[in-house]
Amino acid sequence: MASHFSGVLQLTDLDDFITPSQECVKPVKVEKKQGKSVAKIQIEDDGSYIQINQDGGKKKLEKAKITLNDCLACSGCITSAESVLITQQSHEELFKVLHSNEANVTEQKVVVVSVSPQSRASLAAHFNLSSSEAGRRLTSFFKGIGVHHVFDTSFSRTFSLLESQREFVARLQKKEQDSKALPMLTSACPGWICYAEKTHGEFILPYISTTRSPQQMMGSLVKGYFAEQQGLSPQQIYHVAVMPCFDKKLEASRSDFYLNEAETREVDCVITSGEVQKMLEEKNMSLNDLEPAKLDTMFSSVCEDEFLSHAGSGSGGYLHHVFTYAAKQLFGEDVKELTYKTLRNKDFQEVTLEKDGVVLLCFASTYGFRNIQNLVQKLKRGKSHYHFVEVMACPSGCLNGGGQVKALPGQNQKEHLQEVEDLYKAERPLSPEDDTRVAELYQSWLLSVGEERAKELLHTQYHAVEKLTNGLTMKW
Amino acid sequence: MKEALSLVQRVNAHPDSRCWFVSWNPSGSLVASCGGDKAIRIWGREGDSWICKSVLQDGHQRTVRKVAWSPCGNYLASASFDATTCIWKKKDDDFESLTVLEGHENEVKCVAWAPSGNLLATCSRDKSVWVWEVDEEDEYECVTVVNSHTQDVKHVVWHPTQELLASASYDNNICIYREEDDDWECRATLQGHTSTVWSLSFDATGQRLASGSDDRTVKIWKEYPNEAGQDLSWKCVCTLSGYHGRTVYDVAWCPLTGVLATASGDDAVRVFKEDESTGPDQPVFSLAAQVTKAHSQDVNCVAWNPKEAGLLATCSDDGDFAIWRFHED
Repeated sequence: MASHFSGVLQLTDLDDFITPSQECVKPVKVEKKQGKSVAKIQIEDDGSYIQINQDGGKKKLEKAKITLNDCLACSGCITSAESVLITQQSHEELFKVLHSNEANVTEQKVVVVSVSPQSRASLAAHFNLSSSEAGRRLTSFFKGIGVHHVFDTSFSRTFSLLESQREFVARLQKKEQDSKALPMLTSACPGWICYAEKTHGEFILPYISTTRSPQQMMGSLVKGYFAEQQGLSPQQIYHVAVMPCFDKKLEASRSDFYLNEAETREVDCVITSGEVQKMLEEKNMSLNDLEPAKLDTMFSSVCEDEFLSHAGSGSGGYLHHVFTYAAKQLFGEDVKELTYKTLRNKDFQEVTLEKDGVVLLCFASTYGFRNIQNLVQKLKRGKSHYHFVEVMACPSGCLNGGGQVKALPGQNQKEHLQEVEDLYKAERPLSPEDDTRVAELYQSWLLSVGEERAKELLHTQYHAVEKLTNGLTMKW
Repeated sequence: MKEALSLVQRVNAHPDSRCWFVSWNPSGSLVASCGGDKAIRIWGREGDSWICKSVLQDGHQRTVRKVAWSPCGNYLASASFDATTCIWKKKDDDFESLTVLEGHENEVKCVAWAPSGNLLATCSRDKSVWVWEVDEEDEYECVTVVNSHTQDVKHVVWHPTQELLASASYDNNICIYREEDDDWECRATLQGHTSTVWSLSFDATGQRLASGSDDRTVKIWKEYPNEAGQDLSWKCVCTLSGYHGRTVYDVAWCPLTGVLATASGDDAVRVFKEDESTGPDQPVFSLAAQVTKAHSQDVNCVAWNPKEAGLLATCSDDGDFAIWRFHED
């Protein structure tokens, strides 16, 4: 099976001679029960295992299961996690929840779908619509199959951008005391995070921004604020994110985003733009035939029925927003337009703020594995002069994510990507600080929960993965 | 057979270890050898014997699998199972470690300089092929990481005149890459071998590529212009089978004489010569010379001297390297 993960993850620690299904070396935790140690194990016709005790008693044995969390905590493979993903996070799972809602009206779950602007643009290109029109029709599609609310992760991204701006200024101010305060490396890309944790661990993690990604900001909003507002427990909500990227499924599965008390994830399931297209196909529908629906305004960045976006790159515009904010806050400079200088290749760009011949700010964006490599090596040699780097695992960034709808046969890949980018950029940008709904939530919600809780809701942490040293992973 | 291989010298280069690879410097005056003892040794001829001029130690934590001289002869790159590639710079009569290229997940299997000397290719058991660029300040940056193989990549080699790269893998395939619009891409996959492809060698013009495989054959591939698309088209025009008792670990096309040498797991060294009467689309190669017990164990490498026609270096799991002279008359 071809892997869908970003190239960065495909490269991490693979093995030559063993097929993925046999590759997993994660020791499975088995609940040990008291009892006699001698027993026979019999395999039934259906493949289940039955333990036959000496007294003749039979007991069905539990299957050992590897969860996505086990995979994330393991320095072994990564690709075999794919089969785990399919059972836990897929559009079939969403269908299952919707079916059981139909069948069991008393124990219904409230189903929330949060759509990323990159997915909207990808589906818009596929159906030849504007991005906003695609969003309206997607809302119509999801509501038609039983989804209760359809939100927009541009809205939660406003939180991510605001928090990144503040985090950067705070880091810059403590750069003398903390040698790893800068450069601040963005954290919205889960492929990059997974690679950093597994390959460069303690060395690289302090540089990485603690700000949550838009997907996980939405997780806080939906399972925190929204649940409370609706008088629901987080478990009564099934939260689905529609993303341009398969790696986002790994992000949703991180234990940092699991609500222990409520025993539920902040984002229960991530489906890709391509999987949404598959859902439409399975339902024999096309966005072209659906009526546009009124938008859910609670957690959406909209002006009437048009979606609003953010300036800067198609990967969230982190560099753009942090740069303009820092220029203003730290140096009183109003930067209207950023000049991106292309360095080694189109996926490695630089933006600087100069005053009287002195470089005040030096930012970069590095996309794709080759550029990430050079960034990491430069940091290791102490040769990086950047204050901030927008890091994305995919070449060309999120609009080119591995989960996007594929170009049609015969369609030029580059032209297709350009089309998606044009559609994405056609949405009117909104400055994060001008979003009154977000400002209101900072006031009403985040102030009320206290500083510490607010930090948990808006930030996260990273964990170095120790290299496995048991015999099974011995490399010859 | 009129032709023959005669032994000039045998040197126990890596005692109690394996000698994995030997490489002539561009002027043909020095041989670099590397081995399982983690060391690289530089050998020079003094009168009738070969003397170890310097030992490059402490650069690697594990086996050094390949060494490659830069086209200018002032740098040496070494690929190691410790996942790194070392760049050594010639200083006076010695070599100093200039930089260590990190990034491969695990064992680096091969390293090769492009003819310009500005690009370096490495490949690894992590299935990837990397191209690095060198600037004037001896700084190396990764230009690309290509994942076109599905298994361990054994060998990389550059075209003699163009910026065209070929790689051979445990997945039985050969991939050919060139830079297209900002990034390197695999432009052709050569399928035909039925087991691991261990080695590749371009002929002097670069129009033909020889490959040696675990399927005990050597294949000759020829480039054909492709009218339909811009994709490169390579076809297998000849297969040498029935000669090798075991794996063919290395092939080397002599840039001066056009003869083809092979190193095999059957301990033999062989030289093949192209029949002059045959056409370019159906060449015929015949065995011109062979030494059946060239080494006491697997022969890992064959390398033609770039300046002195017929001078061949070989090395083996027995820890030795040997210098042979190929006589045509």
